[in-house]
Amino acid sequence: MSNSLVTKTPLSDRLFNAIVKISPKVLMAILILPVLGGLFGVILPAFGWLPALDKTQFNVHGFQQLIQTPGIAQMIGLSFFTSIVSGLLAFIITLLLLATYFDSPWLPRIQRLLGPILVIPHAAAAIAIAFLITPSGMFARLLSPWLTGWQNPIDWLLPHDPYGISIIMGLTLKELPFLLLMTLSAIAQPALNIKLRAQYRLALSLGYYPMTAFFKAVLPNIYPLMRLPILAILAYASASVEMPLILGPNAPPTLAVAIMNWFHDVDLSLRIKASAGALLQLLITMSVLITWWLLEKITLAITCKSLSNGKRTYGDAFWAKIINFFTVLLISFITLALLGMVFWSFAGYWQFPLALPEQWVLVHWQSALLQVQTPIINSLSIGLVATSIAIILTLLTLEFEKQNGALLSNYSSLIIYLPLMIPSIAFLFGLVWLQEALHSKAIFMNVALAHLLFVLPYVFLSLASSYRRLDPRYAQVAASLGASPFKIFLQVSLPQLLMPIMMASALGLAISFSQYLPTLLVGGGRLNTVTTEAVSLANGASRRTSAVYALIQMLLPAIAFSMIWLVSTLQNRQKKNTKVNL
Amino acid sequence: MPLGKLSRLLSDKKSRFSTVFANHSLNKAAIFLSHKQQNGLRTQFTITSNFKAFGVILRQLILMLAVIFSPTALSYTAPISAQIFEQDSISVTTSLVAKKAPVETIWNTIETLGKNHSVYFHAWGGDPQINIYIQWLAKRVKNSHNIDLHHVKLTDTSEAVSRVLAEKSANNHQQGQVDLVWINGENFASMAQYQLLARGWVAQLPNFSLTNPSENEAMTRDFGLPTQGMEAPWGQASLSFYYTPSPNTHDLNYAQNSYQDSISKAPKNINQLLTWAEQNPGRFTYPKPPDFLSLSFLKYALIALNQQQKEQVKSGLYQAPTPQSQAALLPTLWAYLDKLHPHLWHQGQYFVASGTALQRLVGDGEINLGFTFSAAQIPASVARYNLPENTRSFVMKDGSLSNIHFVAIPYNAANSDSAKVVANFMLSVEAQAKKQQAEIWGDSTVIDVSKLPVQQQLLFSTNQPHPSALPINSKIIALSEPHPSWSKLINREWLKRYGAQ
Amino acid sequence: MSRSFETSSLQIENLTILREKTALLSLNETIKGGEVLTIMGPSGSGKSTLLNWLTGMLPKGFQAEGNVYLNSVNITQTASYQRHIGLLYQDALLFPHLSVADNIAFAMPKGDKKARARKISFALAEVGLAGLDNRHPDSLSGGQQARVALLRVLLSQPKAILLDEAFSKLDSQLRQETRQLVFEQIKQHQLPAIMVTHDESDAIAANGKVIHLSATPEQHN
Repeated sequence: MSNSLVTKTPLSDRLFNAIVKISPKVLMAILILPVLGGLFGVILPAFGWLPALDKTQFNVHGFQQLIQTPGIAQMIGLSFFTSIVSGLLAFIITLLLLATYFDSPWLPRIQRLLGPILVIPHAAAAIAIAFLITPSGMFARLLSPWLTGWQNPIDWLLPHDPYGISIIMGLTLKELPFLLLMTLSAIAQPALNIKLRAQYRLALSLGYYPMTAFFKAVLPNIYPLMRLPILAILAYASASVEMPLILGPNAPPTLAVAIMNWFHDVDLSLRIKASAGALLQLLITMSVLITWWLLEKITLAITCKSLSNGKRTYGDAFWAKIINFFTVLLISFITLALLGMVFWSFAGYWQFPLALPEQWVLVHWQSALLQVQTPIINSLSIGLVATSIAIILTLLTLEFEKQNGALLSNYSSLIIYLPLMIPSIAFLFGLVWLQEALHSKAIFMNVALAHLLFVLPYVFLSLASSYRRLDPRYAQVAASLGASPFKIFLQVSLPQLLMPIMMASALGLAISFSQYLPTLLVGGGRLNTVTTEAVSLANGASRRTSAVYALIQMLLPAIAFSMIWLVSTLQNRQKKNTKVNL
Repeated sequence: MPLGKLSRLLSDKKSRFSTVFANHSLNKAAIFLSHKQQNGLRTQFTITSNFKAFGVILRQLILMLAVIFSPTALSYTAPISAQIFEQDSISVTTSLVAKKAPVETIWNTIETLGKNHSVYFHAWGGDPQINIYIQWLAKRVKNSHNIDLHHVKLTDTSEAVSRVLAEKSANNHQQGQVDLVWINGENFASMAQYQLLARGWVAQLPNFSLTNPSENEAMTRDFGLPTQGMEAPWGQASLSFYYTPSPNTHDLNYAQNSYQDSISKAPKNINQLLTWAEQNPGRFTYPKPPDFLSLSFLKYALIALNQQQKEQVKSGLYQAPTPQSQAALLPTLWAYLDKLHPHLWHQGQYFVASGTALQRLVGDGEINLGFTFSAAQIPASVARYNLPENTRSFVMKDGSLSNIHFVAIPYNAANSDSAKVVANFMLSVEAQAKKQQAEIWGDSTVIDVSKLPVQQQLLFSTNQPHPSALPINSKIIALSEPHPSWSKLINREWLKRYGAQ
Repeated sequence: MSRSFETSSLQIENLTILREKTALLSLNETIKGGEVLTIMGPSGSGKSTLLNWLTGMLPKGFQAEGNVYLNSVNITQTASYQRHIGLLYQDALLFPHLSVADNIAFAMPKGDKKARARKISFALAEVGLAGLDNRHPDSLSGGQQARVALLRVLLSQPKAILLDEAFSKLDSQLRQETRQLVFEQIKQHQLPAIMVTHDESDAIAANGKVIHLSATPEQHN
């Protein structure tokens, strides 16, 4: 031990230091290179350069074709408005829920209820909603024929309505839990939480009604924390494919769906138009974000005077009633959607106005379970690889941050959000081209790396706050006892972070499980995951099979999260036992 | 910026040589990497030991980044080039052998080379029955030739087309991911046009002669286009309809009703279809182009609506469309659709994406009438509760669009020899007879059964059909597929007229 | 303020606060307008819980029996925001999204905008903060922040005031000044006040009744 005073450091420590030093750069590279490379691979064909079709001259024919596409204005409008409206709705509902239940035991309950929805993949959620609102769906069945008199499904326009109402419903329902949970976890930081609650109580003691107190005293301080998640959901919504594919219209569809169709069209020259479309999509996403920013400024300008006008209530009692009612409605909507899906997965014949199936059968589950093994193994292995890389890189980057005593620059923090802000449809096709140019057969790794792009930001965001919150004095004490940085990292920091790491892993797995477009495009259909199967079956012949797949899709992340729960309870029990033994 | 440099290296036309060199080396780098990966990852697919896999992954990551970052990384590939050339020379010798040796020897070589590999079969995966049949094929070729047949389930065959195209644009001319593709019609026309398919291999298959191609011209023509040995026939199908009366519009003891009674209210030709739709608003629809089934319905309508025209005008359908033939044939179709659409499901404002979605609407009771190219799918769906028990199949009296579907091998398929072995087995008596069984798939065989020994002929006879199946004695008036360009034209014009409302 | 000649009072009647069915504290007190009741005791003795109960924000896990009357009105079941009991914490808790003047305006009853602004400027000048109306709270010193917080509570026209370790974060010189200012204002407005503190000097300065709470029975065991 006396040797430790000598300047020679062991190899493992030097290696660790070197790895820690480069890890932020690797992390940034993993996030930037595919996105930029993918964009590059779309820009070239958009301007007419596609050597495979013997097109090697730069021109703007692609854009001309794009503008001449019938219904292009509607496609753009649909993409734009469904994302803005759903984002706005999710935001407003989040605020109303927070305002109503900010200091009530119902907030954690609602959080627990909505939590599982967060990990339900978009495709499964869309399938569940489609089951609910379709003319022969649960709503119509529950109300028929006693109320409506319908003996046959009536020909109403939901889902697939040309105005995008179904898409908005789906997106809102999926974005709401995300936004709510992101906000709650942001304000759960102890220092901030104490301050916010104290200010809220102060406002109450000054005679402010609870909702008004929330809007005037709390919201202005937490909105900055909500902004990035909101922009992320807006960007996602403006370019998402699963929801509009399952719930949206197709004459014309949203721009993102149209782009995907063009990329897959038999007429190969359409790829040029598709690439031009991908760039247009980028513009639309940007304009959605800018619109939000403008809305934010306008709202601020209108409301800033009224913050201090002394008005204590704006019909709080009335609104509270409305929101209580609405919350019940929301929860029953979700329950009904899930219940309908469970019914379908066990249904034999099920003629229209009947609210319950005529027979209950297991055959759909049996035949699906025979075929779903490979997709499940694929989902799990891709998820594990992507999540493990993400966790390791994140931990090393955060360790770098700690060793250097400085947070990542704003610039780097923005880059972490890059894959969430740039619509994946805009760069994934280019990425496929790029990956083929580099190594065409490593499908598994390609898909895992593509997943990593989307997993990494979430893992980083969920781990960063816990890591940065670690009391630095433990490490200081350990260092003063002669422990090397590597030893401190392994034996002091990591054990304290066990639960956050588990949580981040579960989140990473859930994100990876839900990836549709990256799996489909990068994997070229050769790697079937539960999600790609579920989406391709969603518009298939059998509601029953489709329900089974959607349920399996929901169960996977649920399993990941219950594992975490199990580990944490075991850990707690162990702690208790050791206490008793002492 | 290294990426820019790399791409400039790839795209600079002036330095042709360097481009070729760079592409070549890049491909090799890719092959090198993928070999490593295959050895490293395929075996550990289930990730039994996380730790080991991590090592592989990290190494992979570093390798990939190295390739991305520095053009100098290309030089690392030099030591393995010998290995690659060895591979090249094998394929060169095969093609040399192919030109000289008799058919049997060639086939033996192919069979030997094709053993012990994987074949990625890209085929539409929307029908569980067909998927199960393909699983059976996989089991059989695994046993006979140790070939791992992987069914890559497509929602649309064009996905495979665009994949091969993407590979071509990335200069991947040897290690394509698509080994075998289920194809016909315009997808074939498209791939043929861009030279994405291997040529002249079909005649090498011993079982191809069972189709009697010399007398049966249909086996070498796809929607009128000569196949030039680019695709082997697999089966044939014709458009049939199915009808499910609503529970309140018929008496409940449908089980006792005769077949004729059950379908008495269903339309029997294209004009009756319009009248029926007017009387039953919202109870019929068809999928949206460019879906295969959708275009089939539109082509059926186009042919059926023009049946009264002169022979000379009608023959325009079987050639590439000209301004004259378009002007003579298309207006009746558009006029018909203009009248039909307001009475469709969702008032014709939304069209389902595929034939399977159409079947679901019938199953949900939202519409009463659907159509399909695989008639055997209907009784199977009834058995799986996806269609009501009172569903009945029938064919239109003014004709059924009929076509042959094929399998093709892309020009850059990594395992083309194995793919040929699989294609040959698909054409075998055993596989074809099984495919024709109604409870398996019910897809008509392409083999000329009359030329088979009697014992083998018996394999193709059918059992007692399901009440929802198409009766065996149905009189099918086959309508040939129009020239593939018509599909493209109809697709484009349809989208222009009805694609945005 | 106009109520100064009425019998303004805060009466705590037969209060017992329980934690998990164990009695935490019992109290029976009446505080008249202008008086300060000081409550001292070790942490865990239930000082803050008492204040929470008075403001109607008793946390989960506590039960309370007894009544509280404000100016002879029973407010035991009244919602926090309708009790009109002002709170002064050790942190100033000025809203960072509002200016100094707006922080005070936030607390004032609604009314004519200009009149409110005048009142705020006047009040600020009175406590030696003239001209700081439009400053951001973060740019003020600790003592200045404490004075703004006091003004905010007073201008909200409370019927009683609670001081929760209100001076504990100020250094001794500042502490004395601020304390003096607060007690003066309480006298001037004739408000009944309860002060929770650790500091003997606070209790002496308050010049009122002092109650020492003992540690919880649980901690004795």
